[in-house]
Amino acid sequence: MNLLEAFDVSVTFKAFGYEVQAVKNVDFVLPQGKVVGIVGESGSGKSTFARVLTGLQEPTGGYVTYLGAPIQDGKEIYKGELRKAVQMVFQDPYSSLNPRMRIINAVAEAVRVHQNPNKAEAQQIALDLLKRMGISEIDAFKYPSSLSGGQRQRASVARALSVQPKILIADEPTSAIDQSAQSQLLELFSELIKDGLSIVLVSHDLGVIRYLTDNVYVMQNGEFVETGSSSKIFESPSNAYTQKLISSIPSSGKK
Amino acid sequence: MSNALVQIDSLCIDVKVTRTRRLTIVNSATFDVHPGQLLGLIGESGSGKTMLCRSLVGTLHRRGAYINSGSLTFNGIDLIKATPKEWRDIRGKEIGYIPQSALAGPNPVMTIGAQMAEAIQLGEKMDKSVVRKRAIELLEIVQIRRPEIVLKQYPYELSGGMKQRVMIACAIAREPKLIVADEPTTGLDVTVQAEIMQLLKQIRKDLNTAIILVSHDLPLINEVCDDIVIMHAGSTVEKIPSANIERTRHPYTEALYKSRIDLVEPRGKLITIKGQPPTVGDWPTGCRFAGRCDYAKPGCSADVEIPSIKIGPNHLTSCIRQAEIWGK
Repeated sequence: MNLLEAFDVSVTFKAFGYEVQAVKNVDFVLPQGKVVGIVGESGSGKSTFARVLTGLQEPTGGYVTYLGAPIQDGKEIYKGELRKAVQMVFQDPYSSLNPRMRIINAVAEAVRVHQNPNKAEAQQIALDLLKRMGISEIDAFKYPSSLSGGQRQRASVARALSVQPKILIADEPTSAIDQSAQSQLLELFSELIKDGLSIVLVSHDLGVIRYLTDNVYVMQNGEFVETGSSSKIFESPSNAYTQKLISSIPSSGKK
Repeated sequence: MSNALVQIDSLCIDVKVTRTRRLTIVNSATFDVHPGQLLGLIGESGSGKTMLCRSLVGTLHRRGAYINSGSLTFNGIDLIKATPKEWRDIRGKEIGYIPQSALAGPNPVMTIGAQMAEAIQLGEKMDKSVVRKRAIELLEIVQIRRPEIVLKQYPYELSGGMKQRVMIACAIAREPKLIVADEPTTGLDVTVQAEIMQLLKQIRKDLNTAIILVSHDLPLINEVCDDIVIMHAGSTVEKIPSANIERTRHPYTEALYKSRIDLVEPRGKLITIKGQPPTVGDWPTGCRFAGRCDYAKPGCSADVEIPSIKIGPNHLTSCIRQAEIWGK
Protein backbone atom coordinates (compact mmCIF):
# COMPACT_ATOMS: atom_id res chain seq x y z
CA MET A 1 0.00 0.00 0.00
CA ASN A 2 1.33 3.39 -0.90
CA LEU A 3 1.31 5.82 1.96
CA LEU A 4 1.00 9.01 -0.03
CA GLU A 5 0.10 9.38 -3.69
CA ALA A 6 -0.40 12.39 -5.91
CA PHE A 7 -2.38 12.22 -9.15
CA ASP A 8 -2.05 14.81 -11.89
CA VAL A 9 -1.37 17.64 -9.43
CA SER A 10 -1.07 21.19 -10.78
CA VAL A 11 -0.61 24.47 -8.96
CA THR A 12 -1.19 27.78 -10.70
CA PHE A 13 -0.47 31.09 -9.02
CA LYS A 14 -2.25 34.23 -10.13
CA ALA A 15 -0.64 37.60 -9.57
CA PHE A 16 -1.28 40.96 -11.23
CA GLY A 17 -3.14 39.36 -14.11
CA TYR A 18 -0.35 36.89 -14.84
CA GLU A 19 -0.68 33.17 -14.37
CA VAL A 20 2.32 31.12 -13.34
CA GLN A 21 2.09 27.36 -13.42
CA ALA A 22 4.47 26.28 -10.66
CA VAL A 23 3.61 22.57 -10.77
CA LYS A 24 2.38 20.97 -13.98
CA ASN A 25 0.34 17.74 -13.88
CA VAL A 26 2.68 15.61 -11.80
CA ASP A 27 2.21 12.12 -10.34
CA PHE A 28 4.05 11.07 -7.21
CA VAL A 29 4.24 7.98 -4.98
CA LEU A 30 5.61 7.60 -1.45
CA PRO A 31 5.67 3.89 -0.50
CA GLN A 32 5.46 2.84 3.17
CA GLY A 33 8.77 3.13 5.01
CA LYS A 34 10.68 4.60 2.08
CA VAL A 35 12.55 7.85 1.60
CA VAL A 36 11.74 9.74 -1.57
CA GLY A 37 13.80 12.70 -2.72
CA ILE A 38 12.76 15.61 -4.89
CA VAL A 39 15.65 17.49 -6.52
CA GLY A 40 15.71 20.50 -8.80
CA GLU A 41 17.03 24.02 -8.90
CA SER A 42 15.43 27.04 -7.30
CA GLY A 43 12.16 28.01 -8.91
CA SER A 44 11.50 24.52 -10.26
CA GLY A 45 8.45 24.04 -8.02
CA LYS A 46 9.83 21.56 -5.46
CA SER A 47 8.76 23.56 -2.40
CA THR A 48 5.31 24.25 -3.82
CA PHE A 49 4.81 20.55 -4.43
CA ALA A 50 6.02 19.72 -0.90
CA ARG A 51 3.47 22.19 0.45
CA VAL A 52 0.74 20.45 -1.55
CA LEU A 53 1.72 17.11 0.02
CA THR A 54 1.61 18.68 3.49
CA GLY A 55 -1.75 20.28 2.80
CA LEU A 56 -0.47 23.83 3.21
CA GLN A 57 -1.20 24.57 -0.42
CA GLU A 58 -4.41 23.60 -2.18
CA PRO A 59 -3.70 22.20 -5.65
CA THR A 60 -5.53 23.87 -8.54
CA GLY A 61 -5.77 20.53 -10.34
CA GLY A 62 -5.48 16.87 -9.38
CA TYR A 63 -5.55 15.41 -5.88
CA VAL A 64 -3.42 13.74 -3.19
CA THR A 65 -4.37 10.55 -1.36
CA TYR A 66 -3.22 9.22 2.00
CA LEU A 67 -3.58 5.42 2.28
CA GLY A 68 -5.90 5.50 -0.71
CA ALA A 69 -8.27 8.18 0.58
CA PRO A 70 -8.15 11.78 -0.69
CA ILE A 71 -6.62 14.13 1.88
CA GLN A 72 -9.07 16.87 0.99
CA ASP A 73 -12.65 16.62 2.23
CA GLY A 74 -14.64 19.60 1.08
CA LYS A 75 -12.71 22.64 2.28
CA GLU A 76 -10.71 20.81 4.89
CA ILE A 77 -7.34 19.22 4.17
CA TYR A 78 -6.12 16.45 6.51
CA LYS A 79 -9.21 16.39 8.68
CA GLY A 80 -8.99 15.46 12.37
CA GLU A 81 -6.67 12.57 13.20
CA LEU A 82 -5.21 12.60 9.70
CA ARG A 83 -3.50 15.88 10.38
CA LYS A 84 -1.07 14.19 12.73
CA ALA A 85 0.04 11.80 10.02
CA VAL A 86 2.00 14.29 7.95
CA GLN A 87 4.43 16.78 9.49
CA MET A 88 6.85 19.21 7.96
CA VAL A 89 10.36 20.48 8.70
CA PHE A 90 11.05 23.82 7.09
CA GLN A 91 14.05 25.15 5.25
CA ASP A 92 15.13 27.95 7.54
CA PRO A 93 15.67 27.01 11.20
CA TYR A 94 16.15 30.69 11.99
CA SER A 95 12.58 31.63 11.15
CA SER A 96 10.57 28.49 11.83
CA LEU A 97 10.77 28.62 15.64
CA ASN A 98 8.96 31.27 17.66
CA PRO A 99 11.74 33.54 18.98
CA ARG A 100 9.76 34.34 22.14
CA MET A 101 9.14 30.75 23.17
CA ARG A 102 11.62 28.48 24.92
CA ILE A 103 12.50 25.45 22.79
CA ILE A 104 10.82 23.06 25.21
CA ASN A 105 7.58 25.05 25.17
CA ALA A 106 7.56 25.17 21.38
CA VAL A 107 7.68 21.38 21.30
CA ALA A 108 5.34 20.93 24.28
CA GLU A 109 2.75 23.13 22.57
CA ALA A 110 2.45 20.65 19.71
CA VAL A 111 2.18 17.78 22.20
CA ARG A 112 -0.57 19.55 24.17
CA VAL A 113 -2.63 20.41 21.09
CA HIS A 114 -2.65 16.86 19.76
CA GLN A 115 -2.48 14.63 22.84
CA ASN A 116 -4.12 16.76 25.51
CA PRO A 117 -1.99 15.84 28.52
CA ASN A 118 -1.43 18.27 31.40
CA LYS A 119 1.35 20.79 31.27
CA ALA A 120 3.93 18.81 33.26
CA GLU A 121 3.38 15.66 31.19
CA ALA A 122 3.64 17.60 27.94
CA GLN A 123 6.92 19.12 29.09
CA GLN A 124 8.25 15.69 30.01
CA ILE A 125 7.31 14.25 26.60
CA ALA A 126 8.91 17.25 24.89
CA LEU A 127 12.06 16.91 26.97
CA ASP A 128 12.43 13.20 26.15
CA LEU A 129 12.00 13.95 22.46
CA LEU A 130 14.55 16.75 22.51
CA LYS A 131 17.04 14.52 24.33
CA ARG A 132 16.57 11.87 21.64
CA MET A 133 17.36 14.54 19.05
CA GLY A 134 20.57 15.33 20.91
CA ILE A 135 19.49 18.52 22.67
CA SER A 136 20.45 18.59 26.34
CA GLU A 137 18.10 19.57 29.15
CA ILE A 138 19.99 22.83 29.62
CA ASP A 139 19.63 23.76 25.96
CA ALA A 140 15.95 22.75 25.91
CA PHE A 141 15.12 25.61 28.28
CA LYS A 142 16.89 28.21 26.15
CA TYR A 143 15.36 30.51 23.56
CA PRO A 144 15.99 29.76 19.85
CA SER A 145 18.34 32.76 19.60
CA SER A 146 20.90 31.08 21.86
CA LEU A 147 21.06 27.85 19.85
CA SER A 148 23.07 27.15 16.71
CA GLY A 149 21.41 26.51 13.35
CA GLY A 150 21.93 22.77 13.63
CA GLN A 151 20.42 22.62 17.12
CA ARG A 152 17.44 24.65 15.97
CA GLN A 153 16.88 22.36 13.02
CA ARG A 154 16.94 19.34 15.36
CA ALA A 155 14.43 21.12 17.61
CA SER A 156 12.20 21.58 14.53
CA VAL A 157 12.46 17.86 13.84
CA ALA A 158 11.55 17.15 17.48
CA ARG A 159 8.50 19.37 17.14
CA ALA A 160 7.43 17.62 13.93
CA LEU A 161 7.86 14.18 15.54
CA SER A 162 6.00 15.11 18.74
CA VAL A 163 2.68 13.95 17.28
CA GLN A 164 4.12 10.63 16.06
CA PRO A 165 3.60 11.27 12.35
CA LYS A 166 3.80 8.55 9.71
CA ILE A 167 5.38 10.89 7.17
CA LEU A 168 7.92 13.65 7.56
CA ILE A 169 8.22 16.18 4.76
CA ALA A 170 11.55 17.97 4.96
CA ASP A 171 12.01 21.01 2.72
CA GLU A 172 15.76 21.65 2.34
CA PRO A 173 16.50 20.74 5.97
CA THR A 174 20.28 20.97 5.58
CA SER A 175 20.80 23.95 3.31
CA ALA A 176 21.05 26.59 6.05
CA ILE A 177 23.39 24.76 8.44
CA ASP A 178 27.10 23.93 8.69
CA GLN A 179 28.67 20.73 7.48
CA SER A 180 29.26 19.24 10.93
CA ALA A 181 25.67 20.04 11.95
CA GLN A 182 24.49 18.58 8.66
CA SER A 183 26.03 15.19 9.32
CA GLN A 184 24.53 15.15 12.82
CA LEU A 185 21.09 15.83 11.32
CA LEU A 186 21.49 13.21 8.59
CA GLU A 187 22.48 10.61 11.15
CA LEU A 188 19.33 11.46 13.08
CA PHE A 189 17.27 11.01 9.92
CA SER A 190 18.76 7.61 9.16
CA GLU A 191 17.88 6.49 12.70
CA LEU A 192 14.31 7.66 12.21
CA ILE A 193 14.13 5.75 8.92
CA LYS A 194 15.22 2.58 10.72
CA ASP A 195 12.32 3.14 13.11
CA GLY A 196 9.95 3.04 10.13
CA LEU A 197 9.33 6.71 9.37
CA SER A 198 8.65 7.60 5.72
CA ILE A 199 10.28 10.79 4.52
CA VAL A 200 9.88 13.10 1.56
CA LEU A 201 13.16 14.98 1.25
CA VAL A 202 13.27 18.11 -0.88
CA SER A 203 16.77 19.35 -1.60
CA HIS A 204 19.11 20.70 -4.18
CA ASP A 205 22.07 19.09 -2.42
CA LEU A 206 22.60 15.89 -4.38
CA GLY A 207 25.00 14.51 -1.79
CA VAL A 208 22.24 14.51 0.81
CA ILE A 209 19.79 12.99 -1.67
CA ARG A 210 22.20 10.21 -2.62
CA TYR A 211 22.88 9.44 1.04
CA LEU A 212 19.31 9.18 2.27
CA THR A 213 16.81 8.40 -0.45
CA ASP A 214 15.46 5.20 -2.03
CA ASN A 215 13.71 6.89 -4.96
CA VAL A 216 14.37 10.23 -6.61
CA TYR A 217 12.19 12.58 -8.62
CA VAL A 218 14.07 15.19 -10.65
CA MET A 219 12.06 18.36 -11.14
CA GLN A 220 12.53 21.02 -13.78
CA ASN A 221 10.11 23.85 -14.61
CA GLY A 222 7.30 22.25 -12.60
CA GLU A 223 7.56 18.81 -14.17
CA PHE A 224 9.26 15.59 -13.15
CA VAL A 225 11.78 14.99 -15.92
CA GLU A 226 13.25 11.81 -14.50
CA THR A 227 12.15 9.31 -11.87
CA GLY A 228 13.74 6.17 -10.56
CA SER A 229 15.62 4.46 -7.78
CA SER A 230 18.32 6.65 -6.36
CA SER A 231 21.19 4.29 -7.28
CA LYS A 232 20.02 4.11 -10.89
CA ILE A 233 19.71 7.88 -11.24
CA PHE A 234 23.15 8.54 -9.79
CA GLU A 235 24.87 5.82 -11.81
CA SER A 236 23.21 6.21 -15.18
CA PRO A 237 21.13 9.37 -15.47
CA SER A 238 19.26 9.36 -18.78
CA ASN A 239 17.91 12.91 -18.82
CA ALA A 240 20.24 15.71 -19.97
CA TYR A 241 19.27 17.96 -17.07
CA THR A 242 19.92 15.23 -14.50
CA GLN A 243 23.35 14.60 -16.04
CA LYS A 244 24.19 18.28 -15.75
CA LEU A 245 23.08 18.34 -12.11
CA ILE A 246 25.17 15.32 -11.20
CA SER A 247 28.28 16.56 -12.97
CA SER A 248 28.10 19.85 -11.02
CA ILE A 249 28.56 18.18 -7.62
CA PRO A 250 31.97 19.18 -6.28
CA SER A 251 33.97 16.18 -5.23
CA SER A 252 37.59 16.01 -4.23
CA GLY A 253 38.13 12.79 -6.13
CA LYS A 254 38.30 14.41 -9.56
CA LYS A 255 40.19 17.56 -10.43
CA MET B 1 58.22 35.05 2.42
CA SER B 2 58.94 38.40 0.92
CA ASN B 3 57.21 37.97 -2.44
CA ALA B 4 53.79 37.45 -0.87
CA LEU B 5 50.96 39.74 -1.93
CA VAL B 6 49.15 39.59 1.37
CA GLN B 7 50.78 38.77 4.68
CA ILE B 8 48.61 38.18 7.68
CA ASP B 9 50.44 37.47 10.89
CA SER B 10 48.74 36.65 14.23
CA LEU B 11 45.95 39.04 13.39
CA CYS B 12 43.51 39.72 16.20
CA ILE B 13 40.18 41.46 15.61
CA ASP B 14 38.02 42.77 18.45
CA VAL B 15 34.46 44.02 18.33
CA LYS B 16 32.92 46.67 20.58
CA VAL B 17 29.88 45.17 22.29
CA THR B 18 29.16 47.99 24.72
CA ARG B 19 31.10 51.10 25.69
CA THR B 20 33.51 49.13 27.83
CA ARG B 21 33.03 45.51 26.78
CA ARG B 22 35.19 44.08 24.00
CA LEU B 23 34.95 40.65 22.41
CA THR B 24 37.74 38.99 20.47
CA ILE B 25 36.30 37.41 17.34
CA VAL B 26 39.45 36.61 15.41
CA ASN B 27 42.65 35.75 17.15
CA SER B 28 45.91 34.47 15.75
CA ALA B 29 45.02 34.29 12.08
CA THR B 30 48.19 33.71 10.08
CA PHE B 31 48.63 33.10 6.35
CA ASP B 32 50.11 34.53 3.14
CA VAL B 33 48.63 34.94 -0.31
CA HIS B 34 50.87 34.97 -3.38
CA PRO B 35 50.14 36.68 -6.71
CA GLY B 36 47.88 34.52 -8.85
CA GLN B 37 47.14 32.11 -6.04
CA LEU B 38 43.65 30.70 -5.50
CA LEU B 39 43.33 30.30 -1.78
CA GLY B 40 40.35 28.72 -0.04
CA LEU B 41 39.33 29.87 3.43
CA ILE B 42 37.05 27.47 5.21
CA GLY B 43 35.39 27.37 8.62
CA GLU B 44 32.06 26.96 10.39
CA SER B 45 29.68 29.87 10.88
CA GLY B 46 31.03 32.18 13.54
CA SER B 47 34.64 31.16 13.00
CA GLY B 48 35.57 34.68 11.85
CA LYS B 49 35.91 34.15 8.10
CA THR B 50 33.82 37.16 7.12
CA MET B 51 35.55 39.46 9.61
CA LEU B 52 38.91 38.46 8.23
CA CYS B 53 37.67 39.37 4.75
CA ARG B 54 36.39 42.70 5.99
CA SER B 55 39.80 43.51 7.43
CA LEU B 56 41.19 43.15 3.88
CA VAL B 57 38.78 45.70 2.43
CA GLY B 58 38.91 48.08 5.39
CA THR B 59 35.24 47.90 6.36
CA LEU B 60 35.64 46.48 9.84
CA HIS B 61 34.68 49.72 11.58
CA ARG B 62 31.23 49.61 10.00
CA ARG B 63 30.45 46.68 12.27
CA GLY B 64 32.12 48.25 15.31
CA ALA B 65 35.16 46.02 14.95
CA TYR B 66 38.84 46.94 14.85
CA ILE B 67 42.23 45.28 14.59
CA ASN B 68 43.68 44.89 18.03
CA SER B 69 47.07 43.37 17.31
CA GLY B 70 49.07 41.50 14.71
CA SER B 71 50.08 42.65 11.28
CA LEU B 72 48.34 42.85 7.93
CA THR B 73 50.24 43.97 4.86
CA PHE B 74 49.18 44.12 1.24
CA ASN B 75 51.84 44.57 -1.41
CA GLY B 76 54.13 46.08 1.19
CA ILE B 77 51.51 48.54 2.51
CA ASP B 78 50.55 48.27 6.17
CA LEU B 79 46.76 48.05 5.97
CA ILE B 80 46.30 48.58 9.70
CA LYS B 81 47.76 52.07 9.58
CA ALA B 82 46.20 52.96 6.21
CA THR B 83 44.28 56.25 6.23
CA PRO B 84 40.87 56.63 4.55
CA LYS B 85 42.64 58.36 1.66
CA GLU B 86 45.04 55.46 1.21
CA TRP B 87 42.14 53.03 1.45
CA ARG B 88 40.44 54.77 -1.48
CA ASP B 89 43.44 53.90 -3.63
CA ILE B 90 43.42 50.27 -2.52
CA ARG B 91 39.75 49.33 -2.24
CA GLY B 92 38.37 48.44 -5.65
CA LYS B 93 41.57 49.29 -7.48
CA GLU B 94 43.94 46.86 -5.81
CA ILE B 95 41.57 44.65 -3.83
CA GLY B 96 38.18 43.68 -5.25
CA TYR B 97 35.43 42.35 -3.01
CA ILE B 98 32.57 40.01 -3.86
CA PRO B 99 30.10 40.15 -0.97
CA GLN B 100 28.41 37.20 0.65
CA SER B 101 24.86 37.65 -0.46
CA ALA B 102 24.41 37.68 -4.23
CA LEU B 103 20.76 38.44 -3.90
CA ALA B 104 21.19 41.49 -1.67
CA GLY B 105 24.51 42.66 -3.10
CA PRO B 106 23.43 45.08 -5.84
CA ASN B 107 21.64 48.32 -4.95
CA PRO B 108 17.95 47.71 -5.76
CA VAL B 109 17.20 51.28 -6.87
CA MET B 110 20.09 51.68 -9.32
CA THR B 111 20.35 50.19 -12.77
CA ILE B 112 23.11 47.67 -13.36
CA GLY B 113 24.77 50.19 -15.68
CA ALA B 114 24.86 52.91 -13.01
CA GLN B 115 26.35 50.57 -10.42
CA MET B 116 28.96 49.30 -12.80
CA ALA B 117 29.87 52.86 -13.73
CA GLU B 118 30.54 53.54 -10.03
CA ALA B 119 32.77 50.50 -9.79
CA ILE B 120 34.64 51.45 -12.96
CA GLN B 121 35.13 55.16 -12.17
CA LEU B 122 35.65 54.96 -8.39
CA GLY B 123 35.18 58.70 -8.11
CA GLU B 124 37.41 59.59 -11.05
CA LYS B 125 36.22 61.58 -14.06
CA MET B 126 35.86 59.46 -17.16
CA ASP B 127 34.19 59.81 -20.50
CA LYS B 128 30.69 58.30 -20.51
CA SER B 129 31.22 56.29 -23.66
CA VAL B 130 34.47 54.84 -22.28
CA VAL B 131 32.70 53.75 -19.11
CA ARG B 132 29.88 52.19 -21.09
CA LYS B 133 32.26 50.35 -23.36
CA ARG B 134 34.17 49.00 -20.38
CA ALA B 135 30.93 47.94 -18.64
CA ILE B 136 29.85 45.96 -21.70
CA GLU B 137 33.29 44.41 -21.95
CA LEU B 138 33.13 43.35 -18.28
CA LEU B 139 29.68 41.83 -18.66
CA GLU B 140 31.00 39.85 -21.60
CA ILE B 141 33.89 38.57 -19.48
CA VAL B 142 31.42 37.26 -16.89
CA GLN B 143 29.42 35.66 -19.72
CA ILE B 144 26.22 37.67 -19.52
CA ARG B 145 24.28 37.55 -22.75
CA ARG B 146 22.92 40.80 -24.27
CA PRO B 147 24.96 43.15 -22.02
CA GLU B 148 23.44 46.29 -23.60
CA ILE B 149 20.01 45.31 -22.29
CA VAL B 150 21.28 44.18 -18.87
CA LEU B 151 22.91 47.59 -18.33
CA LYS B 152 19.48 49.22 -18.34
CA GLN B 153 17.89 46.64 -16.04
CA TYR B 154 17.38 46.76 -12.27
CA PRO B 155 18.62 43.97 -9.95
CA TYR B 156 15.11 42.55 -9.40
CA GLU B 157 14.96 41.72 -13.10
CA LEU B 158 18.00 39.44 -12.90
CA SER B 159 18.32 35.92 -11.54
CA GLY B 160 20.58 35.10 -8.56
CA GLY B 161 23.33 33.75 -10.78
CA MET B 162 23.26 36.85 -12.99
CA LYS B 163 23.41 39.18 -9.98
CA GLN B 164 26.43 37.30 -8.71
CA ARG B 165 28.06 37.64 -12.14
CA VAL B 166 27.42 41.40 -12.05
CA MET B 167 29.04 41.57 -8.59
CA ILE B 168 32.06 39.71 -9.97
CA ALA B 169 32.17 42.10 -12.93
CA CYS B 170 32.23 45.05 -10.50
CA ALA B 171 34.98 43.42 -8.45
CA ILE B 172 37.26 42.92 -11.46
CA ALA B 173 36.42 46.30 -13.04
CA ARG B 174 39.82 47.81 -12.21
CA GLU B 175 41.79 44.57 -12.61
CA PRO B 176 42.72 44.30 -8.94
CA LYS B 177 45.65 42.23 -7.77
CA LEU B 178 43.47 40.46 -5.20
CA ILE B 179 39.81 39.44 -5.15
CA VAL B 180 38.16 38.53 -1.87
CA ALA B 181 35.11 36.36 -2.60
CA ASP B 182 33.06 35.87 0.57
CA GLU B 183 30.89 32.78 0.01
CA PRO B 184 30.06 33.78 -3.57
CA THR B 185 27.83 30.79 -4.27
CA THR B 186 25.93 30.30 -1.02
CA GLY B 187 22.24 30.12 -1.89
CA LEU B 188 22.82 29.46 -5.58
CA ASP B 189 22.08 26.21 -7.37
CA VAL B 190 24.82 23.62 -7.91
CA THR B 191 24.77 24.10 -11.67
CA VAL B 192 25.18 27.88 -11.28
CA GLN B 193 27.84 27.31 -8.63
CA ALA B 194 29.87 25.20 -11.05
CA GLU B 195 29.66 27.97 -13.66
CA ILE B 196 30.71 30.71 -11.21
CA MET B 197 33.71 28.64 -10.07
CA GLN B 198 34.73 28.10 -13.69
CA LEU B 199 34.50 31.85 -14.20
CA LEU B 200 36.67 32.66 -11.17
CA LYS B 201 39.31 30.20 -12.38
CA GLN B 202 39.24 31.79 -15.85
CA ILE B 203 39.67 35.31 -14.37
CA ARG B 204 42.61 34.13 -12.33
CA LYS B 205 44.19 32.63 -15.44
CA ASP B 206 43.63 35.69 -17.65
CA LEU B 207 44.47 38.48 -15.19
CA ASN B 208 46.83 36.62 -12.81
CA THR B 209 44.65 37.80 -9.93
CA ALA B 210 45.04 36.24 -6.51
CA ILE B 211 41.69 35.07 -5.17
CA ILE B 212 40.66 34.35 -1.59
CA LEU B 213 37.60 32.13 -1.79
CA VAL B 214 35.64 31.84 1.44
CA SER B 215 33.24 28.97 1.94
CA HIS B 216 32.07 26.36 4.39
CA ASP B 217 31.92 23.74 1.68
CA LEU B 218 35.11 21.66 1.88
CA PRO B 219 34.54 19.52 -1.26
CA LEU B 220 34.05 22.70 -3.29
CA ILE B 221 37.14 24.43 -1.92
CA ASN B 222 39.18 21.30 -2.34
CA GLU B 223 38.19 20.98 -5.97
CA VAL B 224 38.78 24.61 -6.96
CA CYS B 225 41.63 25.98 -4.84
CA ASP B 226 45.42 25.53 -4.77
CA ASP B 227 45.76 25.93 -1.03
CA ILE B 228 43.30 25.72 1.82
CA VAL B 229 43.32 27.66 5.08
CA ILE B 230 41.11 26.14 7.76
CA MET B 231 39.67 28.33 10.51
CA HIS B 232 38.14 27.21 13.76
CA ALA B 233 36.88 29.52 16.51
CA GLY B 234 38.70 32.63 15.33
CA SER B 235 42.10 31.18 14.56
CA THR B 236 43.64 29.56 11.52
CA VAL B 237 44.34 25.97 12.48
CA GLU B 238 45.95 24.67 9.30
CA LYS B 239 47.21 25.75 5.91
CA ILE B 240 47.54 22.90 3.45
CA PRO B 241 47.87 22.46 -0.33
CA SER B 242 44.58 21.00 -1.55
CA ALA B 243 46.36 18.10 -3.24
CA ASN B 244 47.64 17.00 0.18
CA ILE B 245 44.33 17.21 2.00
CA GLU B 246 44.46 13.52 2.83
CA ARG B 247 47.77 14.03 4.61
CA THR B 248 46.34 16.63 6.97
CA ARG B 249 48.06 17.27 10.26
CA HIS B 250 45.16 18.71 12.19
CA PRO B 251 42.29 16.74 13.77
CA TYR B 252 39.71 19.40 12.79
CA THR B 253 40.62 19.23 9.10
CA GLU B 254 40.63 15.46 9.30
CA ALA B 255 37.17 15.44 10.87
CA LEU B 256 35.84 17.92 8.29
CA TYR B 257 37.28 15.86 5.47
CA LYS B 258 35.96 12.59 6.79
CA SER B 259 32.49 13.94 7.58
CA ARG B 260 31.84 14.57 3.88
CA ILE B 261 28.80 12.65 2.79
CA ASP B 262 29.91 11.88 -0.74
CA LEU B 263 32.46 9.44 0.67
CA VAL B 264 30.06 7.15 2.51
CA GLU B 265 27.69 4.53 1.20
CA PRO B 266 24.03 5.53 1.27
CA ARG B 267 22.75 5.34 4.89
CA GLY B 268 26.23 4.26 5.97
CA LYS B 269 27.89 5.40 9.17
CA LEU B 270 28.60 9.11 9.02
CA ILE B 271 31.55 10.56 10.84
CA THR B 272 30.35 13.54 12.81
CA ILE B 273 32.26 16.18 14.71
CA LYS B 274 30.86 16.05 18.19
CA GLY B 275 29.53 19.09 19.98
CA GLN B 276 29.35 22.71 18.87
CA PRO B 277 32.14 25.16 18.09
CA PRO B 278 32.97 27.21 21.21
CA THR B 279 31.07 30.50 21.39
CA VAL B 280 32.82 33.81 20.86
CA GLY B 281 33.88 35.31 24.18
CA ASP B 282 33.86 31.89 25.82
CA TRP B 283 36.89 30.33 24.17
CA PRO B 284 38.77 27.77 26.23
CA THR B 285 42.48 28.17 26.88
CA GLY B 286 45.01 26.35 24.74
CA CYS B 287 43.69 24.52 21.67
CA ARG B 288 40.09 25.58 21.06
CA PHE B 289 39.27 22.38 19.24
CA ALA B 290 40.34 20.21 22.19
CA GLY B 291 36.77 19.91 23.52
CA ARG B 292 35.60 18.29 20.27
CA CYS B 293 38.79 16.43 19.39
CA ASP B 294 39.11 12.63 19.55
CA TYR B 295 42.85 12.82 20.18
CA ALA B 296 42.75 15.47 22.91
CA LYS B 297 44.75 15.00 26.09
CA PRO B 298 44.77 17.27 29.16
CA GLY B 299 47.94 18.97 27.88
CA CYS B 300 46.04 20.36 24.88
CA SER B 301 44.06 22.75 27.03
CA ALA B 302 47.06 24.14 28.91
CA ASP B 303 47.08 27.94 28.99
CA VAL B 304 49.85 28.48 26.44
CA GLU B 305 50.08 30.07 23.05
CA ILE B 306 49.54 27.42 20.34
CA PRO B 307 52.46 27.67 17.90
CA SER B 308 52.28 27.27 14.14
CA ILE B 309 54.27 24.18 13.15
CA LYS B 310 55.78 23.94 9.70
CA ILE B 311 55.31 20.51 8.10
CA GLY B 312 56.18 21.12 4.45
CA PRO B 313 56.87 24.03 2.10
CA ASN B 314 53.24 25.14 2.10
CA HIS B 315 51.88 23.26 5.04
CA LEU B 316 51.37 24.77 8.49
CA THR B 317 49.45 23.25 11.36
CA SER B 318 48.65 24.36 14.88
CA CYS B 319 48.12 20.96 16.44
CA ILE B 320 50.78 20.53 19.11
CA ARG B 321 50.34 16.77 19.11
CA GLN B 322 50.57 16.28 15.34
CA ALA B 323 53.87 14.36 15.50
CA GLU B 324 52.44 12.07 18.16
CA ILE B 325 49.27 11.38 16.15
CA TRP B 326 50.59 11.06 12.62
CA GLY B 327 54.26 10.33 13.21
CA LYS B 328 57.15 12.12 11.55
